[in-house]
Parts: sequence; structure tokens; C-alpha cells
Amino acid sequence: MADSNGRRVVILGCGRVGSTLARQLAVDGYAVTVIDSTADSFRRLGGKFKGTKIVGNGLDQDTMRKAGVEHSNVFIAVTQGDNTNIMAVQIAREVFGAKRVVARLYDPIRSQAYREMGIVTLCTTTLAAGLIRSTVTESSECDGLREKLESWDMDYLEQVG
Amino acid sequence: MYVIVVGGGKIGYFLSKRLVQEDHEVLLLEKDRRRYSTLAEELGDVVAQGDGCEVRMMAEAGFARADVVVAVTGDDEDNLVICQMAKKKFQAPRTVARVNDPSNLAVFQKLGIDTTVSSIAIVAADVESDLRSIFSEGH
Repeated sequence: MADSNGRRVVILGCGRVGSTLARQLAVDGYAVTVIDSTADSFRRLGGKFKGTKIVGNGLDQDTMRKAGVEHSNVFIAVTQGDNTNIMAVQIAREVFGAKRVVARLYDPIRSQAYREMGIVTLCTTTLAAGLIRSTVTESSECDGLREKLESWDMDYLEQVG
Repeated sequence: MYVIVVGGGKIGYFLSKRLVQEDHEVLLLEKDRRRYSTLAEELGDVVAQGDGCEVRMMAEAGFARADVVVAVTGDDEDNLVICQMAKKKFQAPRTVARVNDPSNLAVFQKLGIDTTVSSIAIVAADVESDLRSIFSEGH
């Protein structure tokens, strides 16, 4: 495993996206801490995961402190709740001074509104629809898309699967 | 005044009832259908069913002409987003949020919510001052 070299990442939510991201970033050499409200979710991380697991409510400032958000470079919120992700990244930024925060959202309207407030938001609804559309319409946007998607899946299978 | 209340729990219910009695125009938004039916039986047209975090619902409910938006659901994250979206998308002049976790009070104010109310913080302050007076009486 590569040296984390002070690159610390906190991920809130250990679902499919959160656990995949956590395992990949850990392999990439980041010091990863994952927060989830149920300990059972951590089974998705597998036995080889070297990062830290914290059970707790991600909106509770005590949990965030325990996870070391104030000493982290990036805070990522990928729970199932848009509002939870929005609130968590704002606490990480305003209370703990996290420099980079990313929120995964389902609602494109909220995604755009909070992007305008300086939060990196990623709306998986429009992302998936947009990618599928470009495949259907065979637009130039999908040039190299097949290869990209394949390489992401291969990464997953190699590092995680 | 036109007041929109989001969240039809006990606080939202008694608040709406009181505001109606004081002759304000009130809309109470409740997400849960069953809870909505119960509320509508008593408060009638004042209640609407829908998710107060969805911009389409907010537009329909007339957030654009609201004088005050009050978010009193049981979830702090919902109350925060309702108030922030009301300000950002509908230029609501005044937003009030119920804060369940008192440690969120300062954050909410920092994030642009005009008024924050925490019943826990109020009760805790009350209990503390009671205890203080009990102890000082002992001296």
C-alpha cells in the first residue's frame, strides 16, 4: 500500500458507492475513514480494508470530530439522503474547515442550487441518464465511453471484487 | 401575512392552528399521507400534502409570495434544506427552523437561517437555572 502522505479522506455512508470509493482510495494510498450509522454496512469493505470505520450519526458533530474531519483534506457524503449529504458537507466545511467537500445527490435541482453555493455536487440521476442518452443518440460524447466504463468496472474487479 | 409551515407534527399543528386564529394566511405542508388526512380533517384547506424539500411542491405552495417559511419537521437536515432552498430559489424574506440537535444552532445561523428554535436548548437552560437557584438557596 502506498504511503498516505497526509492525504486524508472522510467518507460518510458505506453503501455501494461509499464502500467502493473507500476501498479504491485506500488502495490509491489515501488514509480513509468511513462513517455509517450501522456497523453491518462495513461488511461491504471486505477484510482487507486498511482504513478506519466509525459507527455513528454523520450529522452529529461529535461523530465528525471522532472521524477526524478537521484534519482531513476531503469530506465526501454519499448516504441515501440528499438532505443528509447537503447538511453533512456544510458542517464539515463551516465547523471543521474541510477544504474540499463533495455531495452525491439524486435531485438535480438541489444539485444545481448547492453547486452555486460552492459545494461540489454530483447528481447521479442526470449523470446516469445523460450517459445512457449519449449511448442511445450515439453522440460524440460517448466516444471512448465504453472503454472508460469498462476500465472502471475492471478497476473494481481487480481492487475490490 | 402569508406563513408556510413545513412539517405537520405537534409543533406544526399547534403553530398553524394558532396562526389561523390570528387571521394569518397559513399553509401547512405535510409529507405523510395518513398524517395529512388527519390534519386536513381538522384544519381543512390550510393543509396540503407534499414534500416541502421538492422545488416543484414549493412553487405550487406559493413559496415565492410567502412572508415567512417555518420548517419544523423532526429532521434537522430537512429543516435546513427547506430554509436554504426557500431563500435561494424563492427569495423568502424570513426563514425559521426548528433545530433538534442543539449543537446545530450555531451552524444553522452561519448557514443563513434567520431564526433557529431548539426546544431542547430552552429546556436545558431552564433546568440549569433551576439547579443553580436550588444550589444558591442552599448557601
